[in-house]
Amino acid sequence: MRSVRPADTKWVPLVGVLAFVSLLSAGYYYNLTFVQLGLIDLGTRLVGMNPQSVSVVMAVFAVAAFGLAAVTGWMMDRRGWSSNLRVKLRILFVVIVVQTVLTVIVGSVATPGQYLAWVLAGAAAIGVGMPVTFSFMIDFVRVRHRGAVAAAVAGLAFFAAALYPLEWRIEKFAPVMTAVMIPGLVVLGVVAFRRFDFVDVLARQHERFGVGRFSRPHPVGTASFAFWGPLVLMFSVFFIDSLGFLRIIESPAYISTSWQSTEVGVRLFIAVTHIVGAAMAGVLYTVFDRRWIWAAVLALFAFTHLLYTFHLGTAPAGIDPPLALPLFYVLAVSFYTTLNFALWADLSTPATIGLHAGLGVGIAGWLASFLSTSLALYSEGAGLTLLEHLRYVNALALLLAVAFPLYLYFRRMRRLAASPGVS
Amino acid sequence: MNLTVIPLLIAALLMMSGDRDVETAQLMMTGNHVLEAHDGALIVGEAAVTIPGGAQVPGPIYVIGGQLIVRGAVMGDVIQLAGTVTVESGARIGGELQHVAGTLVVSDDADIGRRTSLDLTRAPGDGTAVRYLSGAILVLLIAGVGFLLTKKRNAALDNLAAAVTGHPVATLTVGVLLTLTFISVFVFMAMTLVLLPVAIAGLLAGLVTLGYGVIGWGHLLGNRLPIRHQRLSTVVGVVLVAIGIQLAGSIPLVGDLIVAAVLLIGLGAVVVTYYGVTRFRPAVLAG
Repeated sequence: MRSVRPADTKWVPLVGVLAFVSLLSAGYYYNLTFVQLGLIDLGTRLVGMNPQSVSVVMAVFAVAAFGLAAVTGWMMDRRGWSSNLRVKLRILFVVIVVQTVLTVIVGSVATPGQYLAWVLAGAAAIGVGMPVTFSFMIDFVRVRHRGAVAAAVAGLAFFAAALYPLEWRIEKFAPVMTAVMIPGLVVLGVVAFRRFDFVDVLARQHERFGVGRFSRPHPVGTASFAFWGPLVLMFSVFFIDSLGFLRIIESPAYISTSWQSTEVGVRLFIAVTHIVGAAMAGVLYTVFDRRWIWAAVLALFAFTHLLYTFHLGTAPAGIDPPLALPLFYVLAVSFYTTLNFALWADLSTPATIGLHAGLGVGIAGWLASFLSTSLALYSEGAGLTLLEHLRYVNALALLLAVAFPLYLYFRRMRRLAASPGVS
Repeated sequence: MNLTVIPLLIAALLMMSGDRDVETAQLMMTGNHVLEAHDGALIVGEAAVTIPGGAQVPGPIYVIGGQLIVRGAVMGDVIQLAGTVTVESGARIGGELQHVAGTLVVSDDADIGRRTSLDLTRAPGDGTAVRYLSGAILVLLIAGVGFLLTKKRNAALDNLAAAVTGHPVATLTVGVLLTLTFISVFVFMAMTLVLLPVAIAGLLAGLVTLGYGVIGWGHLLGNRLPIRHQRLSTVVGVVLVAIGIQLAGSIPLVGDLIVAAVLLIGLGAVVVTYYGVTRFRPAVLAG
């Protein structure tokens, strides 16, 4: 054991921030590539299932992951693990061991039964991992830095995912992921199971900044509208994004300007825009009230879907869509992802972060993404054209963009009416 | 996207709105395209568009950048506002070939219905003088508004200056996001033709906001100059900012970025202070 004297601890918070950014960006990259795209590739191409069956399995995955996230989060809070860094590191170690094993054996999954078992094991790992990783925010990141750190996580994860892999094949990607995961696993294991004083310093940080920005001066209750309001909004945004995204990146007309583009220049453009978009979102999250961030996210989504639907309905065939389309899509995605990384910790205290992160990320992130992805797959399998599909997505995006400012307006009106002196 | 294309795009759309035969328009901003057939008007942005031999498109075609190569037939007009237009041997333009600016190459064997040219070319010396004169008039106009605002709304300019100095990253972020979004929204609106007046009004409002931001910068700079007369200091500040922008713009590679950052910080400052009505106060984060 190496002792860290108080005078030497100035670097420890920085280590915490770097650890958080590394863990979360790597985890989100794994989610974006290996899980969200890999599940479909594995089910449809390697196992040979039809899109409808894969969509059902994905829905099962989403519900299982969400259920486990909620239960894990609840247990973390109840047993005090949410504020116990060492316990959380050990749980995360077990989660990554399971994920590494699943990554190693993915190439041998050949039947629908094996596929379902693989998916359920993956859901278990992710369900447990979600509240644990998101709760590290209260241990590692000061409240005032959360916007910037969330931006770094979102930007790096999307930057990497946009650039690699250039050609998607789960059996080719798995060995690369394994090679990256094993060294990380060793480091995590050493930190989690051996005693280091700098970990003790990190473990005490939540006493100073564990209470989130929106939980001051009064903590946000799990049953309150202050928690469920943002959760419903975030669910809607994730749902709309995945509903549109999957069909867009698989449509021949838009492949050339999406993640699936064969041109490195286009993918670099998307990757850099993710970084810039996340940085902008981080700044806005830090300096503005969260209502403005929501307004920006919803407006960007509505405009993006309007652009895609307009382009799809009017552009002649054979002409590459302008890069303005992916530009706005990427901005919208970067904005809400950054918000998602920072929000749940800021709506929590060390006593509630487990359940809040489990419910927030589980419902708004996973349940929404995978339910809508399975719906998108289903609509594809059912023969719904891209234009028809995007029309529904567009309608949802516009509905949200209109409903949110109306809600703010009427809430303000209700408060004014209730205030003393108003007749 | 090259932002200098936007005024030409608006000009093209304005010209198009007067053409009753045009119901739809397609804008091609990037890439290489070979058009065998096409419905409605076409605007060539920074793309390379070829109409191959044997193909026939109705037109009109507006070229505001990029390249248009005609080997087949365009039944309507071709209007060139910028970029390069090449009409090859055997090609046909049924309507009018209007050349306003840009490089035009027409084969002697091409069949052109009517050809007009609005010669905007000047001798280099004259062009530079006109450009500087118009720039100077614009700067003096902004400085004059700055003079009046310092007299009537000095506190508003103080609020702008405080936002610029106290929160450059936040104001730059707001400026970039709004500029990107609203330019796209206005171009999108303009493409519908019905909303063209709204798009033009929006762009003008954006330019006014940008000018107000420059006044904010000028006020900030002027206050740091050894000039007692505050209104005069704002005027001198605006002129110095304009000169600084001109000089920065001539720096290779980073010059345009510096100019854009200055203008967008100013624009962001105007927006976050509600046009100077209130001081910008970011969220207070404890912990």
